[in-house]
Amino acid sequence: MPSNYYDSDATELVETYDFLMKYIVIGEAGTGKSCLLHHFTHNSFKDHSQHTIGVEFSSRTVRLGEKRIKLQLWDTAGQERFRSVTRSYYRGAAGAILVYDITNRESFINLSRWLADARTLASPNLVVVLVGNKSDREDDREVEWAEASRWAAENDVHFLEASSLTGENVEAPFLMAARAILLAIESGTLDPEKAGSGVSYGDRALRRVNSSSRLSFGSLSGSARRKGGAVKLKVKNWIPGSKCC
Amino acid sequence: MASATSSPRRPSASAQSESSQSDRRTVSATQSRNPVSQRLSKVLGTNFDNEDTRQALRTLSDLYAIPRGKEVHIVVDDGDDELGQESFETPLPAPTIVLVESVPGESAARARKNLRRDMETQLAEGSRKFLQALGEVDAKLCELQINVAAMRSSCDEAETQLALTNESSKLLLERAGSLRDERQEVEDKKSIISLFLARFTLSEAEIDALTSREVPIGQRFFQAMDKTERIREDCRVLMAGEDGSTRAGLEIMASTSSHLEQGYEKILRYCSTEFRNLGRDSQLEVSPGIKEAILRLRKRPELLTEALTILSETRQATLLSSFIAALTRGGPSGYPRPIELHAHDPLRYVGDMLAWVHQAIAAEREFLESIFSLKSDGRMVGSVRNAPQSEEEDWMRELMDLAVGKLCVPLKLRVQQTVRSQESSIVSYKIANLLQFYLMTMRRTIGEQALLSSTLKEITDIAYRVFYDSIETQSLALARSRFDHDDPSLTPPHVILDHAQILREVMQVYQSSLLGDEDEDEINAGINQVLDIMIDPVVQMCITNSEEKAKLRPRWDGQVFILNCLCYLQGVLAAFDFTTQKQKDLQTILNKRAKVLTDEHRDSILRDAGLWEITEAIVHHAGEEPLSRIPAAQPADLQRSLKNFSAWLSGLEVVQSPRLSQLIIQKMHTRIHQDALARLAQTYRRICEEVKNPANRYEAAATLLGSERPFGQVHLLWQIFGLEEREREEESESEDDESDGDDSDGSGSGKEGSEE
Repeated sequence: MPSNYYDSDATELVETYDFLMKYIVIGEAGTGKSCLLHHFTHNSFKDHSQHTIGVEFSSRTVRLGEKRIKLQLWDTAGQERFRSVTRSYYRGAAGAILVYDITNRESFINLSRWLADARTLASPNLVVVLVGNKSDREDDREVEWAEASRWAAENDVHFLEASSLTGENVEAPFLMAARAILLAIESGTLDPEKAGSGVSYGDRALRRVNSSSRLSFGSLSGSARRKGGAVKLKVKNWIPGSKCC
Repeated sequence: MASATSSPRRPSASAQSESSQSDRRTVSATQSRNPVSQRLSKVLGTNFDNEDTRQALRTLSDLYAIPRGKEVHIVVDDGDDELGQESFETPLPAPTIVLVESVPGESAARARKNLRRDMETQLAEGSRKFLQALGEVDAKLCELQINVAAMRSSCDEAETQLALTNESSKLLLERAGSLRDERQEVEDKKSIISLFLARFTLSEAEIDALTSREVPIGQRFFQAMDKTERIREDCRVLMAGEDGSTRAGLEIMASTSSHLEQGYEKILRYCSTEFRNLGRDSQLEVSPGIKEAILRLRKRPELLTEALTILSETRQATLLSSFIAALTRGGPSGYPRPIELHAHDPLRYVGDMLAWVHQAIAAEREFLESIFSLKSDGRMVGSVRNAPQSEEEDWMRELMDLAVGKLCVPLKLRVQQTVRSQESSIVSYKIANLLQFYLMTMRRTIGEQALLSSTLKEITDIAYRVFYDSIETQSLALARSRFDHDDPSLTPPHVILDHAQILREVMQVYQSSLLGDEDEDEINAGINQVLDIMIDPVVQMCITNSEEKAKLRPRWDGQVFILNCLCYLQGVLAAFDFTTQKQKDLQTILNKRAKVLTDEHRDSILRDAGLWEITEAIVHHAGEEPLSRIPAAQPADLQRSLKNFSAWLSGLEVVQSPRLSQLIIQKMHTRIHQDALARLAQTYRRICEEVKNPANRYEAAATLLGSERPFGQVHLLWQIFGLEEREREEESESEDDESDGDDSDGSGSGKEGSEE
C-alpha cells in the first residue's frame, strides 16, 4: 500500500470522534519513539530528546476516511530498567507501534523479544505496525528495507520506514494501525463495546448511529444499535416532562 | 362713399390691373387739369377689388336684379351708379322690382331715383327686425338677470353657510390636529416602549426556554441566557445614571434575576442528569452542550460545585467499579486477563494496578479538560506541569483527586498485602522502588496533596519499611552467626558471599531505579541506609568472629581472613558509583586492618631475615653504653645477623610472602609486602647508621657491614626490593600515624598504596 495514502489530510484536531483507540509505542531505547510521537502530535522534531522515564501519555485525533479517531498514545521507555513499569501498559492496547532504528542493527535484532512481549501482554487482537525510524540517515543504514519487510511479513505485522526528523511517514503507522483496527471491528473480531479491547465508540459514532445514518461497518450497525437505543433513552430523559429537568 | 375716396390712393398698390389701366393713365396724365377728367379718372381709378366694396356691390345687385342679356352694358356704363346703389340697397329684398323690369336700364333709373328711400326703407325694415330681435334678447336677458340674482342670493346664502361651516369645522380640525399629534406621540412612545421591552424584557418564548422543563438545553436556551445577562447589564448601566434606580429598572432586575436563577437551576439540573449518565459510561466524551453549560455555571460557583460534586461522585463510583472489574474480571472474553491473575508475580501485580490507575488518570484528565473546554497543552503526562494556576486547574486537580481517591482503599489493601507477604528482600525492594517511581509520577500528575499521592507515599513507606526490616533481620541473623572453626580456608565464607550477593542485587535495583536527574547527595541518601544496614554488622561480625576464631585456632590467619572479607565487600561496593561514602568508611577499616597486618608482616620478615634481634637492640638501646656492648648487637652477633639477612635476600620471600599470598586481592598482597620491605630497608639503614656511628664503638664498621650483602649500601637494598628509596622510617611512620588518625585521608593514602 502506498504510504502517501496515509499522509494526505490526516491532520485535524477535532473534538468529537467516532472511535477511541489506545496505542503503545515500544522498542529499544534510543530508536526515536518519543520523537516519532512528538512529531505525530506536535508536527515538529523534538530536539535534544532525553530518555523517556517510565511512560508518557499524549493524544491526538486523526481522520481516516469519514471516521474520526481519537488516539490515546502511551510512549514507553525503551530502557531495560523500565521494563517492569512499561510492561503494565501493554494491557488493553489496541495497537502497538514497534520502533527500531535502521542505523542500529541491535535494535532490529531485539524486535522478536518486543513483539513476543506485546503479543503476550496485550490483547490478542493487537495490531502491530513495525516502524524503521531514522530513514533520513541512509548513509548509516544497518538494516535493509527488504530484510525488515521480510521479518514483518513473517511475523504478520505491518511495516514501513519513517523519519521523525523530516516527518516522512510519521503519521502513516498510526493511521495504518487505526485502519487495521477498523477492519477488525468490521470483521467482528474486535468489539468496541467491551471494556479492555483498547477501542471504544466516541460520541460522534453514537450520534450517527442514533440518527440512523449509514455506518460503513456492517457488524457495527448491529452491535451499535443497542447502544444507539440507550442513547435515545438518555435523550428522552431530559426531553419533555421527565423528572430530571 | 368711403370706398370711393379711398380708391384713388390705391392704384399703385393694385398690381393686378396695372397692365389694363396703363393706357388710361397716360391719357389722364395729359388731361390732368380738366375736372371732368379728374372726376373720370377718379371714378375709373376706383378700385373694386376691395372685398368690402365687392360685398356692397353684390348687395346692391341683389337689390336690383338685372336681366342677363344686358349685363355687359351695365357693367361698362353704369359702373359709377352701381356703386352708390349697391351700398344702400343691399339689405333690400326687391325681387319684384327686378322681375318687373322690362326695359333695360329701367331698374337702374329707378334705383337712382329711389335709392335713398329704398335704402331708408331697407334700413327701417332692418332696424325693426333688429329691434324686434333685441327686444327678445332683452326679455331673455331680464329673465337671465332674475335667475342670476336668484343664483347670487343662493350663492350668498351658500357662502354664509360655508363660512359658518368653516368656522365650526375649524375647531374640529384643530381638535383633529391635536389628536393626530397625540396619536403620533403615543405611537412614538409605543415604539419606544416596545423597543425598550424588547431590549429589557424576555419574550414569552425566551422565558419558556429559561424556565420550562419542556424546552431542552440547547442553542435557544443559551441565547435566552445571553439575553438575560445582557438585559441585566444594560439595566445596571441605566440605573447607574443620574436618576438613580427607577421602579422599572428595579422590576426588570428583579424579574430577570428570577429568570436567570431559574435558568441556572435548569443548567444545574441538566448537568446533574448528564453527569449522572455520563459518569456511568466508561467512554468519556463531552457534548458541546455540557461544555457550554459548565462555562455558564462558572458564574454561579455554588451551583457549579454542586454539579461537579455529582460528577465527582459518579466518576468515583465508575472508576472504582472499573478498577475492580479490571482486577477481577479482566477484559472481554478474558483479554486482557484480570490483574489479580498475576497476583503471584508481585511486581507485575503491583505494576499493573498502578499502571491502570495511571492510565485512568490520563483519561480522566482528558475528560476534565474537555469539560472545562481547556485546550490540551500537548503535555505528556509524567512530565512536570508548569501551567499557570488557573481556577480550572484547581478544579481539575480536586476532581482528579476525588475521582481516583476511591481507588486508594482497594489499591492500598492489595499492595500492602503483597508487600507484607514478600519473603525476598530483593522483591520487596523492587516493589518499593516501583511504588516510589509511581509516587513521583503521580505527584507530578495530580499534585502532592492528592489523596492518591499521600496513599502512595504511605504504601511506599510501608514497602520500604518492609524491605529495611527484612535486610535488617538478615544482617542481624548474619551478625549472630558463628564461623565454622574447623574451616581452614581464608576466603570469605558462604554466609558473607550470599549476603553480598543480596546487597549487590539491591544495589542493582537501586541503580536501575535512578531517573538520572538526581544530584549526588540525593543518590547517596537513597542507598546509605541500605548500606549501613547491610555492611556495618557484617564488618563487625567479621572482625569479632575471626578474632575469636584466631584465638582458638592460632594457626588460622585471622588478619588475612578479615582483609579478604573486607576486600570482597569493598569490591562489591566498588561496582556502583553511589557507594563512595561507604567505600571510604570501609577503606578506613581496611587500612587499619592492613596496617596491623603490615606491622605483623614486617616483624615476621625481620625475624625471617635475621635482623630482629639487632633491630630490637637498636630500638631499645638507650643510655650511655655503646651499642656494640649490648649482647644482641655485639659485632659477632651482628655479623651473624647480617649473614642471615644476606641469605634471606637470595630467598623467595623477597618477591612474595607465602602468608600474604593467601590474600585474595593481589594488590593488597603487593602493597603490604612492599610496605614491609620498605620498612625492612629503613631498618637496615638504621642499622648501618648505628654501626657507623662512632659513639657505638664498632671497630671496622665499614668492613663489618661490607662483608655481607647488601654491603652497607642502602640504595642497593632498595634496588633489590625493586622499590623507590623512601624517607626515613620515622617519617614514614609518622605519616602512617597521621593517616591512621585521619579517616578520610586514610582511604586516600590507602588507595595510593594499592595503586603503586
